[in-house]
Amino acid sequence: MKIAPFRRGVQLLSLAAMVAVPLLNRRGFSAVNGSFYSLTVGPVTFTDPLIAIQPLLAALKFDLSLLGSALIPAGIALVLGRVFCSWFCPQNTLSELGDAIATRLDLKRLATPPPKPLVRYAVLAFMLAAMVLTGFPLATLLSAPGIISAQTARLLYESSVGLELALIGLILLAELFVVRRVWCNHLCPVGTLLGLLRWKRTMRVVMAEDAVHTCIHCRECAKACQLGLNPMAGGLIIPQCHNCGACIDACEKMTAARKPLSFRF
Amino acid sequence: MSKQLLRPPGAVPEAEFLGRCIRCGKCAQICPHQAIRVASLLDGLAIMGTPVIRARQAPCYLCMKCPPVCPSGALDKRVRKREQVRMGVARIDKKDCLNWQGTFCRSCYDHCPLFNEAIIMDSALRPVVNKKKCTGCGVCEHVCPADPAAISITPLGAV
Repeated sequence: MKIAPFRRGVQLLSLAAMVAVPLLNRRGFSAVNGSFYSLTVGPVTFTDPLIAIQPLLAALKFDLSLLGSALIPAGIALVLGRVFCSWFCPQNTLSELGDAIATRLDLKRLATPPPKPLVRYAVLAFMLAAMVLTGFPLATLLSAPGIISAQTARLLYESSVGLELALIGLILLAELFVVRRVWCNHLCPVGTLLGLLRWKRTMRVVMAEDAVHTCIHCRECAKACQLGLNPMAGGLIIPQCHNCGACIDACEKMTAARKPLSFRF
Repeated sequence: MSKQLLRPPGAVPEAEFLGRCIRCGKCAQICPHQAIRVASLLDGLAIMGTPVIRARQAPCYLCMKCPPVCPSGALDKRVRKREQVRMGVARIDKKDCLNWQGTFCRSCYDHCPLFNEAIIMDSALRPVVNKKKCTGCGVCEHVCPADPAAISITPLGAV
């Protein structure tokens, strides 16, 4: 069974919710309320961990309920990895679409640096340090999913959008013409923090021990990966990999009794 | 920094508010009157994305739906009753107020959510703001027939 149809379904639902939630709120249905910065569903609130620590770092303001609302997203990351990115994040959905278009049009991008976690750790560290030093709400301004969802709500209410949205335009242009999937794979601080929330049992794509017998080295898995990762290289791709499952779907031996690639805890 | 903004009910003092608010937009979504707007870059880079009320266009009707949805403590959840709200204080400009200029008008007095408490009529039937009771909701500023409004809200931080 392929993973992609389920993932596409969740991605579309996620996009639909960004439009439906503000409209339903406007009509008085407010059981679901918020954006990808912070979302309330009935009695439960989910806050992006990076956003939840922002008041503490930028303004030394401590709020237990805000930090507590980041526990479920953090727990999901600990168990399932960066599935928020691959299944829910609207920026990833847009970037996937952009990448598919760029590939179809055969756009030449300037560079394709190999995915190394160092750059993204440096971006996150720099952002956190700048937030502490300047007191500026940088996490809000650099959270692509938060910006997209909050600006969608604003567009529906006020028929206008803010300059925050410029970041999304820059990301898409950069990904189309400069570096393939540069934001999700090299820069995004939201994804980096989610990627740091991992331990040895976090779900990841693993090559089976007996893959020497089953893998035919067709490289379909590496070709399928938009993030430029090579699953055959072994289990070293966290935190770059966001568990989208495209490599597993692409594996030619997918239907074999013993699959070379699979998600494992 | 630009001029002081009117914040939703329960907002903590301005400097703390800017530190606590995560700009998630929940209060703006929940507001049934579209009174809570999202500040733009024109209001300031650090203010962009935060909730503001522009009372002349759409005032706060003190429905008290927004403080409970704030996830960050920028709006104090303990503010539950409309009487507790202190967003600002209404001020009357006697030069522009119709009553003070001799024409009878009771728009602000009649529409005040804390009727006959926050705005009272003095013995000469002129409106007077009771600063101890005024919530700063801005309904008076919204309904004032004078142009520009003769009664307007001075936000909490600027009081």
